[in-house]
Amino acid sequence: MVDILIFTDALITSSILTLLTLGLTLTYLTTKVPNFAHGTFASVGIYVGLTVSKIFHQSIYYGMLPGFILGGLVAVIQYIAFLRPMTKRNASTTTLMVATIAFDIFLIAILNIIADYIQIGFHVESRYFILSNLDFFVFGTRGIILVAPILVIAVVVSLFLLLNKTKFGIAMRATIENPLLAGTVGINTDLVYIVSWFIAGGLAGMVGSITTLWYIGNTNVGSDIFLISIFAASVTGGIYNVYGAVVGGFVIGVTQSVIIRQLAGIVGAWIIPYQPLIPLIAMVVTLLISPSGIMGVDLKAIRKRLAREADAR
Amino acid sequence: MLDSTGLFVLNLLASLAPFLIVTVSLNLEYGYAGIPNFGKTLAVAGGAFVAGVIPGRFLAFLFGIGKNLSYIDDNKQIVSAINRQLVTDPVLSIGIIILTLIMAVLIGALLGLLIAYPVARLRTDYLGMTFLAFGQVILVIGNNFPPLVGGTLGVSVPDPFAFVSVYSIFDLLPGEMRNLFVITFMSIVALLVFLFARRLTRSPLGRVLRAIRDDENSALALGKDVQRNRIIIMIFSSAIAALAGALYAMYTANVFSTTYSRTTWTFWPWVMVILGGAANDLGIVSGTFIFVAVRQIISYYREFFEPILPFNIVWLDTLLLGLALLFILIYRPEGLIREKPIKTIKIESLSVEESKKASIKQTSGFREELKKIIETLLKLPKKKETEEI
Repeated sequence: MVDILIFTDALITSSILTLLTLGLTLTYLTTKVPNFAHGTFASVGIYVGLTVSKIFHQSIYYGMLPGFILGGLVAVIQYIAFLRPMTKRNASTTTLMVATIAFDIFLIAILNIIADYIQIGFHVESRYFILSNLDFFVFGTRGIILVAPILVIAVVVSLFLLLNKTKFGIAMRATIENPLLAGTVGINTDLVYIVSWFIAGGLAGMVGSITTLWYIGNTNVGSDIFLISIFAASVTGGIYNVYGAVVGGFVIGVTQSVIIRQLAGIVGAWIIPYQPLIPLIAMVVTLLISPSGIMGVDLKAIRKRLAREADAR
Repeated sequence: MLDSTGLFVLNLLASLAPFLIVTVSLNLEYGYAGIPNFGKTLAVAGGAFVAGVIPGRFLAFLFGIGKNLSYIDDNKQIVSAINRQLVTDPVLSIGIIILTLIMAVLIGALLGLLIAYPVARLRTDYLGMTFLAFGQVILVIGNNFPPLVGGTLGVSVPDPFAFVSVYSIFDLLPGEMRNLFVITFMSIVALLVFLFARRLTRSPLGRVLRAIRDDENSALALGKDVQRNRIIIMIFSSAIAALAGALYAMYTANVFSTTYSRTTWTFWPWVMVILGGAANDLGIVSGTFIFVAVRQIISYYREFFEPILPFNIVWLDTLLLGLALLFILIYRPEGLIREKPIKTIKIESLSVEESKKASIKQTSGFREELKKIIETLLKLPKKKETEEI
């Protein structure tokens, strides 16, 4: 029996993970570099949420919009100030990856300085805090349980509409497919990159601002706890597919929270601390078996091969 | 007693030596082979865990201490009992140091073999993510599996260097004497590792690795086994990194798995290598030195900075670090000192004309030059034979 708490935990984990993974996949598709600072964009959101709820004494959900804007701006700064000049100088993938790590270190330092400032200046607990008591209740259930999945649906639908129904979205897809060719037909590829980074950082900042309703917030949460799950979800779902992020996010989210508890029931509670290993295992297994992820599995080819084998028999 | 300058130098060397070993190892991977190892901490922590697991249990068994006690739960008690006996036995102490280092190297090599498996199969960006994940695995296990290194509480490591504190030179205190000895020992090991890596990268293996890094396909076309060479270098570099971990654990005389965080043992070495210049021996030494020295100086003037800044000075440290790395990557991605083509003995000796000129000019090295010319002449007919076939 899956108990209701496990179910809600799985739902919220998966929703948060999906939104974060969508952003990572989007930046990976455009810039072709895994952004190691993506988790920290969520940490930026976490402190926006803290500021809105504890310093301005507003509902933490109002932090979502400033979270989106600030997260997006940070991502755009990362792209324009650091990644774009490096790409123009023909930097290798490794150099770009190191640059994202460096930006991550830089960003975490700034967040820590802000956290110290909040702690000293406003006497608000800014480390290892949880804001679950600030949530609203609908028919006895916590607000976040409804908000998180609704947010995922809204984001996925609007992303789908953006990519398929608008001119800019089609330009985005063209740029992802072939930036040079898109440039020759007059698409401003640089603008497309900037918008993708803004959306990616924005989604992370938005979701970050409400994660502290369910998780403990700290400056290193994004890079130490979320980042590897995001990579795992992105790779498992298929890093070459935006919707793969949704699949990956839910697969990793559900495995992470359901399977470990089921296993704990069988082998004992000692296994629960090893939860962070699950996304890692999922990622390594996916990379070694099917590097293009779940969405990259070519079902048609498999069906054809099965049919051929059946005929041969 | 050491004065403040002596203490400063000693502390500088204490962090320089282990980090130099790690940067040498990272330089083998990233600088020479182009492998983006973002999980450097795996091998380092592996070595440290060896130091935390093996010598203590071995000595407890040897001395018959704590038969009714649990090694992890009564760790402090057992280790202090071991130390009391170990202090009087220099031969055994030295034996323990050597045994621990050898075990660390072996475990490191094994870990290198393990993480070399994806290296042979994945592209750069996937590889970076996988390494990051591997680095995290060992920390999760170290934090949550107490029998290894006591989980979050850590374990003490028996101090095989304690016997030195009995002797005293320059009126040093026993503790200082011990530290002086350990740090000198670490520095010597770091120097040896550095020379070994220098020799390794000038060997045919080093040249093949650079060829693979610069163009995998041409290396393949020349009949070089790309994957095999990469696996070999992963094993070498992980073994070296594990050495650093074990040394550091023995120096601090304890192992906390949280010490081996991603920032300290993966990102810092990356900063050092990139700052100094990858694939350049002088570069990585200067990179490591600058990094360690700047951090040391900042922490030395901590009292001066603290009243001025409204936050913990540690963050200023990391902020400057990240920013410096970013600007180096943009404006001077090859680091302070560029990679230089390495002249090997063989290439010099192959150019007969040049060596003849040199032999005329330099009469002092005449015999060596003559030897080289004879060697090259002996080699040349062989080449012709192969061409005819």
